[in-house]
Amino acid sequence: MNKKAIVFLLVFAMVIVACGDTTEEAAVEATEEEHDHEGESTLEQVQERGFLKCGVSTGATGFTEVGDDGSYSGFDVDYCYAVAAAVFGDYSKVEFKQLTAAERFTALSAGEIDVLIRNTTWTQSRDTELGNDFGPTTYFDGQQLMGRVSDGLSSSSTLADIDGLRVCTNAGTTTEKNITEGAGLVGATIELVTVEAFSEAIDKFIAGECDIVTTDGSGLVGRRAVNDALNDWAIFPQSPISKEPLGPTYRSNDSQWADIINWVVYATIIADEYGVTRANIDSFDYDAAPEMGRLFGKNDGELQTKMGLSADAYYNVVKQIGNYDEIFSRNLNPLGLYREGGANARWTEGGLVYAPPAR
Amino acid sequence: MVDLIKKNAKSLQESLFSSVGSAVLTVATTYLVINFFRGMLGFALTSDKDWLAVLNNMQLYMVQAYPEEDFIRVWLSVGLTFVLAGLSIGIWRSDDRVKSSQVFNSFFKGGLGVLFFTIIAPTNASFMGNDGSVITEEVFSMDTRLGILIPVAVFCVIFFSIRFTNIKFTVNSSDMVFFYLFIPVALLWFVKLPTIQLDQNNERIIPDPVMPIADTTKIPWTVIFVSFLLSYFIGMYLKNIKSIKSIMSLSWFLLPLLIFSWIFKKPQIDMSVVLGSDLPIFGVFLLWGFLVITFVNNSIFKKYYSTYLGVTFLLTLVGVFSGLPMLAKTCLLLIALFSVVVPAVSTSSQGKRSLLIVWAVALVTLTFLLRGGASDTGIVVPGSSIFGGFSLTWLLAIFGTYVSFPLGVLLALGRNSKLPIIRIVCTGIIELTRSVPYITWLFFASVTLAVFLPAGVEFNLIVRVLMVTAFFSGAYFAENIRGGLQSIPKGQYEAADAIGMSPFQKISLIIMPQALRAVIPTLVSSAITAFKDSSLVTIIGLFDFLTIGKTVIGNQSIPVNFVGHDRENLIFVAIVYWIFTFTLSRRSMKVEKKLGLGER
Repeated sequence: MNKKAIVFLLVFAMVIVACGDTTEEAAVEATEEEHDHEGESTLEQVQERGFLKCGVSTGATGFTEVGDDGSYSGFDVDYCYAVAAAVFGDYSKVEFKQLTAAERFTALSAGEIDVLIRNTTWTQSRDTELGNDFGPTTYFDGQQLMGRVSDGLSSSSTLADIDGLRVCTNAGTTTEKNITEGAGLVGATIELVTVEAFSEAIDKFIAGECDIVTTDGSGLVGRRAVNDALNDWAIFPQSPISKEPLGPTYRSNDSQWADIINWVVYATIIADEYGVTRANIDSFDYDAAPEMGRLFGKNDGELQTKMGLSADAYYNVVKQIGNYDEIFSRNLNPLGLYREGGANARWTEGGLVYAPPAR
Repeated sequence: MVDLIKKNAKSLQESLFSSVGSAVLTVATTYLVINFFRGMLGFALTSDKDWLAVLNNMQLYMVQAYPEEDFIRVWLSVGLTFVLAGLSIGIWRSDDRVKSSQVFNSFFKGGLGVLFFTIIAPTNASFMGNDGSVITEEVFSMDTRLGILIPVAVFCVIFFSIRFTNIKFTVNSSDMVFFYLFIPVALLWFVKLPTIQLDQNNERIIPDPVMPIADTTKIPWTVIFVSFLLSYFIGMYLKNIKSIKSIMSLSWFLLPLLIFSWIFKKPQIDMSVVLGSDLPIFGVFLLWGFLVITFVNNSIFKKYYSTYLGVTFLLTLVGVFSGLPMLAKTCLLLIALFSVVVPAVSTSSQGKRSLLIVWAVALVTLTFLLRGGASDTGIVVPGSSIFGGFSLTWLLAIFGTYVSFPLGVLLALGRNSKLPIIRIVCTGIIELTRSVPYITWLFFASVTLAVFLPAGVEFNLIVRVLMVTAFFSGAYFAENIRGGLQSIPKGQYEAADAIGMSPFQKISLIIMPQALRAVIPTLVSSAITAFKDSSLVTIIGLFDFLTIGKTVIGNQSIPVNFVGHDRENLIFVAIVYWIFTFTLSRRSMKVEKKLGLGER
């Protein structure tokens, strides 16, 4: 009897260990966090912590991908790396937090992440109501439709051509609203088939359960590159039916942190304008391009130090991650997404990718 | 033999074709089942499936981003579990002998299964091409079919005829485990699988070259199998040591804690904390326990025992809510509970000695585990958690059950308590947690909990999830256990009172063992539910086993290109879940049988 009491006691003790095991860990973290939040700017918090917490998608082909060894890659991921390179001079000092669409803004405002780079569309309500601010757009996306050439559709088709067709899209998103509105405006009657996720919509499209599938252009092109061996899929209309500017998001009222994020994006764009790449960054003639010299801190680097960064912060960004064109083509060209002729081309070539001067 | 066929035919007729209605049902169901399996096989075999999407991502499935240079820690965790399993099988080695005819019978049945699937497998299968047209291709040629059918049929005939020979050879049923495990481990060395290889342009070579399994997979498994076998023999050797069985039960209890706090975590120990805080606390409480054990039955001390108990409980209460180190808080709680039990046990000098040993061992273990659990991890991963994939699923399942089971016992007892406050609080907790869906609790953990906590206090997401999981499944456990408590006749309580047992003894020695035994099936189904429900954490952005298959792999584009191959992964995930839950329910059936549940 006594022995059993002892065993029971011991078991109970171990249960406490099980609880304690996790709670102390949390308690330690709690004191750290408490320390963090006392009126410090985001930059100070990040620098003190020693790594950046970056919110990314749970999975978006080309934008956020997880490789078979658990490593991260993609267009959005590269911008997370770029911010870390600017702040620490070492791109690898990032902790990724994969967020669902529902929880991304809460995570940002609760301070669980420092910056959200998760193919998030910049809209007026999100900008004003949620306590967020949006950085410069890194990717100009827009909703498009995809149908079959064999159904008489082509890349020059318009919304009016989908009259009487079945359209697949994911439920409860702005995508659904856009297509209903757009079709209503041109007087086309469509049969809307809504599914939970885009991959299901594509499956239904392949299975012939719908004639048209619609989502952001980047998603459509990505799937066409993978699945359309017969070149039977056409994406239209030429100019998307909605504007989806995607870019970094951060908490409002911290303009120092906002400036840093903004200028990370601008630095990659300016480097692209001058043709400075990872390969030629050390052999580049900075005397011939004083703007590049200023941006990379080749002379005094005052512009960067005033922001709270080291003089060579943006040099590190381009050296370690590359310029805008490199980031774009590395991640998105294999999916069949190209800059030429679209909104993501350089402003000198008819696109919208533009950066204010570094001066 | 003719008699046997006659007998079988008769029972077949009775059970399947007893009337016109049942005959129709039998035919219709058989048709449906066969077509279902045909469809499944056809689906798996068509050329548009890329099963490498599963094979190539095994590492991601198991540990997500756990760094490769620390894989030894993962293997060590798996290996330790197997060693402990081997020891246990050796110690609890059953005396059941399996007759060779039974073994051959099971081979025969397995062979019949293979024959069934080979026969019904569709020769042609169709899949939807990307242009929406149906593509039909030959997936299972007659040559392959015959190549499988003939040898398997020959084996089946051999196994079937062996049943009728007079071989009286028997095998120990525990030994069979090793035989069955030996087959896959041996296969690792011979099987060659298609592997993803990249050419110099970093593009995937198609078709994928067939290569032997990597050494980094087969060598660890072989080592683990050998140590499994060795520990089995050691277990048999240790079988007769007196307290070995309770040591083993305790080891099983401690193993997950050790794995998660030291092995998997790679804690970075700050020696100044160990010397400055852990050791003094350890010393103080060891001394305290020693003093209590020595003097508790002293006549002077006995007078003030209730005062001492009250002060200790008060201290504990104050201590738990103060800023003391966690180790001190836990030790305070422990000494308070310990003080309750001590007077009954430390009556003889032998009792005192064993109590002291128990106290010292418990303190050492506690200090050791807490230090590991509380220290920073040395594992650097790109994501926010070192747990991902299957390791996260296991963490949630094991710790969910660990914390929620005792909580459930306490809540069930509290709900049956005569004290109104305790009863109302426990009923409130149970009803509150049970009447809200688990997903809502998960959202609460991820989004809302931070708002309720004091400013600046922020728990790790996994800890928050564990907290709500503990309460949620704890409430379900509590209701199950309450059902068991109600099945105990009143006479049992009265009998315990009559022989002068304390309430603690009554509950722990008379009531609980009977109540828990009565609800084993529901407890196991609760545990299985908890294991499966852990996949719901996907909605708050945690990457468990299912999420890896469903969301992550379907997005891998360059260079492997698994975009759109999520169905293969979902099937794989379903099979793995099935294997684990099925094993669990089979084991619980065996336990029930052993305890004679439903027969007594």
